[in-house]
Amino acid sequence: MRALFNARLGVTGGFSEVVGRVRAGQVGFDWRGWFLVGVILGGTVYALAAGGPLFHGYGWLTDTFHGDAQILIAPILLGAGVLIGFGAKLAGGCTSGNGLSGTAMLSPAALAATATFFGTAIVVSFLIEAVI
Amino acid sequence: MSARAAGLGVGLVFGVTLSWSGLASPEVIRDALLFKDSYLFLLFGSAVLVAAVGLALMRRAERRALLVDAQITCEPERPARRHLTGAAIFGLGWGIADACPGPIAVQVGQGIAWGLATFTGVVIGVYLFVRREEPETEPATDVPTARRARGRGTPAPSTR
Repeated sequence: MRALFNARLGVTGGFSEVVGRVRAGQVGFDWRGWFLVGVILGGTVYALAAGGPLFHGYGWLTDTFHGDAQILIAPILLGAGVLIGFGAKLAGGCTSGNGLSGTAMLSPAALAATATFFGTAIVVSFLIEAVI
Repeated sequence: MSARAAGLGVGLVFGVTLSWSGLASPEVIRDALLFKDSYLFLLFGSAVLVAAVGLALMRRAERRALLVDAQITCEPERPARRHLTGAAIFGLGWGIADACPGPIAVQVGQGIAWGLATFTGVVIGVYLFVRREEPETEPATDVPTARRARGRGTPAPSTR
């Protein structure tokens, strides 16, 4: 990515570009938007080649909520998504931008962010494990 | 090759890789975060290592970007409070959904309906951020950053 664009590769950048364009009422987006489209299509290509999606159900959420209670999963995931999107923007990148591209550059900000989000996610996972 | 086509191509490869490696599966992420499985950490570590070596070689060669007219630069950013708060918020969401933006997009592509809820959430989250703060913080928009870097004359004079 550096070699091609002198830019840091990150999926959040793609989300950002698409949201920005749609907000401005514009059609079409730059390479970051197309990168996101590529990631989505990559999933489709894999599902077609492998003859189906990677997994069924959704981790601890579908293990915990059964039957009618599964309706709760959608708002939980939606809320988690909001946190992910907002947090990634504030931190200047997500797992791919800060975690991969940033740490590989040995950027102190990215290292700090990566340590923080790994730490938080680990704590959250253990908390969920303790509760369910 | 246009920048858009390259973006699409790299995205495709990234999407297939994320699927193939199993990183788009919430089970895999959760097992890693609970230290039940070291796969994610090993994979992540090796990816960072490969990227670091590649970047170091590129920096050494002082190559120019292939698709945009700019010297390849790597400016390490100093950690600010927003990196930590943002990462903490992100980590909270990541720990709950067991998926981050790349895998979420991959899930949608694979036709996993739950992924749509998280995907919508990410769009809303990004929207809330952009609305709150017009100037972008995502360094992926490197055009202005690159310009700034050139203005300051940071990169050593090219030897080519």
